[in-house]
Amino acid sequence: MIIEKSSEWKEGFIERLENREAWDNWTLYNMSYEVVKNSLITDFAGLQSPKYLPNLTPLQHQLEVAQTVIERMNGKAILADEVGLGKTIEAGLILKEYLIRGLVKKALILVPASLVNQWIEELNQKFYIPAMQYKKNYDLNTCNIVVMSMDMAKRSPHKENIYEQNYDLIIIDEAHKLKNHKTKNYEFVQNLKKKFCLLLTATPIQNDVFELFYLISLLKPGHLGNYETFQSAFSASKHNVEHDDFLKELVNQVMVRNRRQDTGIEWTKRRVQTIPIHFTQEEKEIYEMILELKNISPVFSGAFSMITLQKEMCSSKEATYMTLNKMRQKCTDPQEIDYVEGIIQKLMVLEVNSKAEKAYEIISEANDKVIIFTEYRASQAYLQWYLYTKGITSVLFNGKFKKNKRDWMKQLFKDQAQVLIATESGGEGINLQFCHHVINYDLPWNPMKLEQRIGRVHRLGQEHDVHIYNLAIHNTIEEDILDLLYVKLDVFEKVVGDLDDILSSFKKTI
Amino acid sequence: MYPQQIHGYLEKFFTENNCDIIIGNDHYMTVQLTIDMDKKIMNRPFYWKYLENIDGVPNPAKLTFITDQNQLEEEIKGEVVHFGSPRLNQLFQTTKKLGSYVQMYERVLDNPKTKTILTPWLGVNYKVSYYSDQTKEMFHSLGINLITGNMIDSFQEWISGVDLDSTMSKDAFNITYIIKPLRALERLDGAIENIIQRDDHTWADEAKMRWKKDREVLEYFYEGVENKPECYDMEKEAMDQQYEARIKIEIINGGLFYLK
Repeated sequence: MIIEKSSEWKEGFIERLENREAWDNWTLYNMSYEVVKNSLITDFAGLQSPKYLPNLTPLQHQLEVAQTVIERMNGKAILADEVGLGKTIEAGLILKEYLIRGLVKKALILVPASLVNQWIEELNQKFYIPAMQYKKNYDLNTCNIVVMSMDMAKRSPHKENIYEQNYDLIIIDEAHKLKNHKTKNYEFVQNLKKKFCLLLTATPIQNDVFELFYLISLLKPGHLGNYETFQSAFSASKHNVEHDDFLKELVNQVMVRNRRQDTGIEWTKRRVQTIPIHFTQEEKEIYEMILELKNISPVFSGAFSMITLQKEMCSSKEATYMTLNKMRQKCTDPQEIDYVEGIIQKLMVLEVNSKAEKAYEIISEANDKVIIFTEYRASQAYLQWYLYTKGITSVLFNGKFKKNKRDWMKQLFKDQAQVLIATESGGEGINLQFCHHVINYDLPWNPMKLEQRIGRVHRLGQEHDVHIYNLAIHNTIEEDILDLLYVKLDVFEKVVGDLDDILSSFKKTI
Repeated sequence: MYPQQIHGYLEKFFTENNCDIIIGNDHYMTVQLTIDMDKKIMNRPFYWKYLENIDGVPNPAKLTFITDQNQLEEEIKGEVVHFGSPRLNQLFQTTKKLGSYVQMYERVLDNPKTKTILTPWLGVNYKVSYYSDQTKEMFHSLGINLITGNMIDSFQEWISGVDLDSTMSKDAFNITYIIKPLRALERLDGAIENIIQRDDHTWADEAKMRWKKDREVLEYFYEGVENKPECYDMEKEAMDQQYEARIKIEIINGGLFYLK
């Protein structure tokens, strides 16, 4: 066994013995003795950090997570609590514990750019951890606890600078962004030395079980076998898992996950409804013309663009027009152009948007603050105009906003507007507990996006039951999306665990 | 540490270092630092360098510490100091630096007729830490008689009941040591290593088991891969660092003690 000793004290002692330095003060000598003796860590187990953090009162489940990760998972884990249960606090507790115990000297925290400031603030103010934001030209040798955006970290020369360092702990927030093993992000993290490592995500599976396989293979390669063995052992096809109990067991060895109801806190309920909508005759006609497009012109033969157009038609004519107009310019045959122009003509004169009307109806009935999530910027702008004509004030929100603007919009929503209209990318990093109605105006393919959206309002501090309205138009692609969402949720529940309601529990409500 | 303990600590620390406590009550205090203390805790070497260069009038800082915000009746601006705050941690470090080495004599009553003989001792306070992916710390206070070589445990507790002074009383004299202090230090170091050797080291075996298990998982992942990628070696290296059992011996402080 290695025994480390320093001769520093002995050297100072010689200086005193030979009268080159004065002896020290007896009271200070005793004070020093008392301090060391009182802060001694007398047990391998247990947490020291809470007594160093008198101004933070961690919740029981957060303390348990920190302890489990350190004592049973050896400091390598996926923190997968449901949205809003304080994964940052858990990570902070673990980092603090390792710092106090001297097991971590240098730590790297990788987060989405929009969350960098929030992390710096929390670590400094709640945990007294002197974390700093990495800026260009900083010397990483002198930054011990550094927070960096993933986008910056994976690029040269930062990437190389990071690889040169010897980090004891790596924390990655929003780790579901590493689900694709073919991305630069994934490769970057794979080549990073990970002594202790925490991956934070509420949604370790978004679409299929392979995402979880790749995430765990980053943390602990081999834990789920290699790709071939994993595939054959669990005969994992995309949306179907066998031996799921065994797989769940393995996953739970490296993942901690608390659900809202496990936390001992009274949570308000989620009331999820699927709201079926019927197109008007005119809308239906256009939708069918769009379906026909693939037979009209090779420009529309790609499945992806067809799906996009169908989804857009379910959202707003404005969204549809943007895409359709771009594609018309690719058409050469006059007959094809005529057909497309015909659709555009019909779009122009379309007066009613059935879905927007339904949304308005829900807002009026709620008579309270409402968040609308849409997938399209064009629909976002349309909805703001439409609601304005009905006398309803709204503010827009999206992920490209800088922090100042985000805060400003949030404040406007809180103080003045009734509705906040957000696009998908605006979902992360804002907390809106003062609102408890969420309209999913468009449905995403990925059920976890819905979970992230709902998590903005259904989190600590919410005082009311949260109402969620999923809008889906009858006899359109939205019904297919809904079906697939149920299948994906099923996989998630089999492997990761139960979820709070995202979709209404009756599968076929339309 | 409770707020009142911290308050007491600060009071004692600054008083011992000749910094005046200008104003305050049981929950806060304003301290006038000496030039020396300013240099130690204010972290502004350029200011002092500049001042010395221009031969200016030194103006050491005045600091206000709040030890119990909840008990404050008036509005006081200052640094809130609590257990775990960076400031207190800094003062702990400073205390350690300023209280590392002592030479102390037991006080004897004035009695011109008989001289009291004082025996020299070396006392050292050790902190021993066991490290793998987890940690545990132990404290040992050892003393050795520099005449007989006799060693005792819990030395600090023993001398805490003795009336000590940094200068020798008039009517006392000390015997010169037979065992040289540095030689005695080696003996104490040896005794610490002995204690460590006799200790139960299941913890290290357990860390080795965890390490072995993790490595098997890794090998399984790369089984049959001929040219293993760089990240394979990286993972292995990370595991070595994570689980390797180490023991650290650190001396907190120590000194020469002349006792009856």
